[in-house]
Amino acid sequence: MTNKPYESMSEFQMALRTFSRNRVALFCVLVLFLLYMGAIFADFLSPYRYDNEDRRYSYCPPTQIHFFDDGAPSWPFVYGIDLEYNEYHKRIYTEDRSKKYPVKLLMKGDEYRLLGFIPIKTHLWGVEAPGRVYLIGADSRGRDLWSRILYGSRVSLSIGLIGVFISFTIGLLVGGISGYYGGRVDNILMRIAEMVMMVPGFYLLLALRAAVPPDFNSVQVYFAIIIILSFIGWAGLARIIRGMCLSLREREFVMAAKSIGLSDFKIIVRHILPHTLSYSIFAVMLSIPGYILGESALSLIGLGIQDPFASWGNMLSDAMSIVKIKFYPWILVPGFFIFITVISFNVVGDALRDALDPMLKSEGQG
Amino acid sequence: MSYTDRFLRYIQTVLLIALMTLTFQSQVSAEPPSSKYGGQLVFAIVSDPKSFNQIMAKEASTTAVTGFLFEGLTTTNAHTTQVEPHLAESWEVSEDGLQWTFHLRRDVRWNDGQPFTADDVVFTFNDLIFNENIPSSARDIYTIDGQQFLVEKVDKFTVRFTLPIRFAPFLRGMGQAIFPRHKLKQLVDDGKFNFSWGIDADPREIVGTGPFKLVRYDPGQRLLYEKNEHYWKVSDDGERLPYIDKIVYLIVGNEDVQLLKFMEGSTDSYSVRGLDYPLLKPLEKERNFTVYDLGPDTGSQFLFFNQNTGTNPETGQSYVPAHKLRWFTDLSFRRAVAHSIDKQRIIEIVKNRLGYPQWSPIGPASAFFHKPDVTKYEYNLETARRILAEAGYTDRNGDGYLEDSQGQKIEFNLATNAGNIQRTDIASIIRHDLEKLGMKVNFQTLEFNTLVTNINSTFQWDAIILGLTGGIEPHFGKNVWNSAGQLHMWYPRQEQPATEWEARIDELFNMGVQELNEEQRKVYYDEFQQIVSDQLPLIYTVLGANVSAVRNKFGNLDPTNYGGVFHNIEELYILEEYR
Repeated sequence: MTNKPYESMSEFQMALRTFSRNRVALFCVLVLFLLYMGAIFADFLSPYRYDNEDRRYSYCPPTQIHFFDDGAPSWPFVYGIDLEYNEYHKRIYTEDRSKKYPVKLLMKGDEYRLLGFIPIKTHLWGVEAPGRVYLIGADSRGRDLWSRILYGSRVSLSIGLIGVFISFTIGLLVGGISGYYGGRVDNILMRIAEMVMMVPGFYLLLALRAAVPPDFNSVQVYFAIIIILSFIGWAGLARIIRGMCLSLREREFVMAAKSIGLSDFKIIVRHILPHTLSYSIFAVMLSIPGYILGESALSLIGLGIQDPFASWGNMLSDAMSIVKIKFYPWILVPGFFIFITVISFNVVGDALRDALDPMLKSEGQG
Repeated sequence: MSYTDRFLRYIQTVLLIALMTLTFQSQVSAEPPSSKYGGQLVFAIVSDPKSFNQIMAKEASTTAVTGFLFEGLTTTNAHTTQVEPHLAESWEVSEDGLQWTFHLRRDVRWNDGQPFTADDVVFTFNDLIFNENIPSSARDIYTIDGQQFLVEKVDKFTVRFTLPIRFAPFLRGMGQAIFPRHKLKQLVDDGKFNFSWGIDADPREIVGTGPFKLVRYDPGQRLLYEKNEHYWKVSDDGERLPYIDKIVYLIVGNEDVQLLKFMEGSTDSYSVRGLDYPLLKPLEKERNFTVYDLGPDTGSQFLFFNQNTGTNPETGQSYVPAHKLRWFTDLSFRRAVAHSIDKQRIIEIVKNRLGYPQWSPIGPASAFFHKPDVTKYEYNLETARRILAEAGYTDRNGDGYLEDSQGQKIEFNLATNAGNIQRTDIASIIRHDLEKLGMKVNFQTLEFNTLVTNINSTFQWDAIILGLTGGIEPHFGKNVWNSAGQLHMWYPRQEQPATEWEARIDELFNMGVQELNEEQRKVYYDEFQQIVSDQLPLIYTVLGANVSAVRNKFGNLDPTNYGGVFHNIEELYILEEYR
């Protein structure tokens, strides 16, 4: 089992080293880092607030940012937007060349609270009103899709982390208790877990959503969704942790802990569960996409985050019509973000497994 | 007719009765007679029918697929919307307006060849509609002041109806489909009617007098109709109708598939949504179809506030918290809200400019009774703000939200049903403007049934956006406007009218239904529309347009707003090259 060259390194260092050799995984970590920074500073990075609308510009296509004025290089600017309808009631957007709005950095715009408590109005970039800039286009009510994607990432990205935290706490505890005590406790807990696993996930999701009181506001709905998703997620993990605990409890260090009179709870939390961590960590990574997709699915069918608040799922619900996709393809962009996020978590999770699981690694090396 | 909400189906079924029957209206054609027969017509529908039992059917999926099978004594002309003879060729009414005698056509046969007689009419009313053991939504219409019509057979082809009081919409109500006694009598007597003519029925058992008969139903795939060889109508040239051999309904999953099927040419007609228009209209020539814009549809969408002053008998608490009730029953509050509905942008965004602002409870589609000059509230947030300020709603503590004169922050929930994207969009736009006024509006989409339960039985809601389908007969909206009505949504089933204007509306409906002079009726219903626009129990938003795309393969096509594209289906024929 032991490899000579690694003798002087701790297990953690070894894992880190393996992980850092995986360039794709590192790239995905970078992508995730950028996405999460985008979520944290969404209000600063976006030119508009999520509910800043201009109804004239329904489904305005992406605004072109010009770097040349009459052939000469110039500070980036956008033209005004002209809208007319053709004889088929189709919106035709053109640039109004008589109006020029330079792109401004650190511009004053909609007020918000940076990091949740510093009230400021400065946005990283934007154009002065009445100019309007749509980096990747507008939605039906003329809201900036780019700003909404940034705001929406707060919901879509955090729901995975919080959800995973809750369901893993439950899963680890249930699995630990079940495996450590065995017998009847094990039997009862595992049957409960199986009952949760038995029901098809999406239908359980719908049923639980229906139980949420209708007068919840958006924040409450958000937490309700997290709790619902966590409720579905814990059972699988509990089963595996229980299996690991069954063997761990026979090990000498557990005997030793018992013999010096540690309480059962401390033994489970301090001595048994840490030994399941290498598995848990990549299991966490690999299960986050499930939460993101779960929230998207709920929001997509109109039962998740409600307008005007944005989430990638409820933004995508606008794209459930082939006519809209044909005319306004940019409404699919939130789907692209979901795709990137899910792929990244999967790649990072896989890489972590390779790095943390010495059995797999040695098999892999032949 | 795109709303499928169960809540509204009651009304819808009522109104469809008139639509069910087809008009007797021919056009002279110069083409040689022999060239018109044959060919098939293909539609697409989004869901399977739940039943073929039209008496019990409450959902649009059933009424849609049984439309060509059955007919009534009268029908509504698709152009003039006047009532015309159909299975009855003439009628007389007594001096007092209570006794109506119908003379039936003698040449009508059921599609299994049996003759149609007065027995069938009497059976339909006495054994089906007025049968307490059969849940029928039609019963409510033919029950006036708790009394039912007396329906008697005079001779083989004469039926007499005796009414308890005068009932102006009686003739229009006689568009009720008539059902075959010889097929159903035994089932009714055995108490099996409620389970018959379900989707598992043998199509040959479903017998009507209509121009087509059902021959095949493959669940989830299609319905097939063939022409009724015994159909009674003949063209002006003496040709036996209908011309078309077969009608196929393809069952497809959703509206997008309907659109694709139409574009690829496998169906002949498509009901165009606003957003489809820019896609379909430019393709008219190339793909050989025509898009008909037939005018405003009969639906309506509106916002309304809970004005229920009652208390829950179990808990002793009022259904609506006192401070909210104070706002919602305050006319200034409702007027301010009416001023903040941006109808023009809603039409642009939600209906893609194929829509109309609505102000009055009787829409422009019912041309005669519609009152165009009711009180209108133009979109102006400044006006709204002024009205609110004058009524004492101002931001008293500088938190950015309005407070009422007693310092209560204006905050309420606005709900609509999930799954209707257009309605959600309308709600979001209205909500955004109300927030600009300084109201805190919590928006939620609820399951449709939850919403209906809230309105109808728990009464715990603040504001809701919903729609109803309408028709041309104002009296059929009685269950909404009568203060004791089931659908009097802002305060249902009142024992006494809560306000003077509600009492007046009750009065107007009672006078309107007994007045046989149409001009005088219009006076009553005009006053009713004026009251509603002044008092704003329902704050109307926008109407859609009735737009249809039809392949250019039909002769005698004559689309109207009331009847739609296929109201004269028996006279349509398929051009030779498409047979």
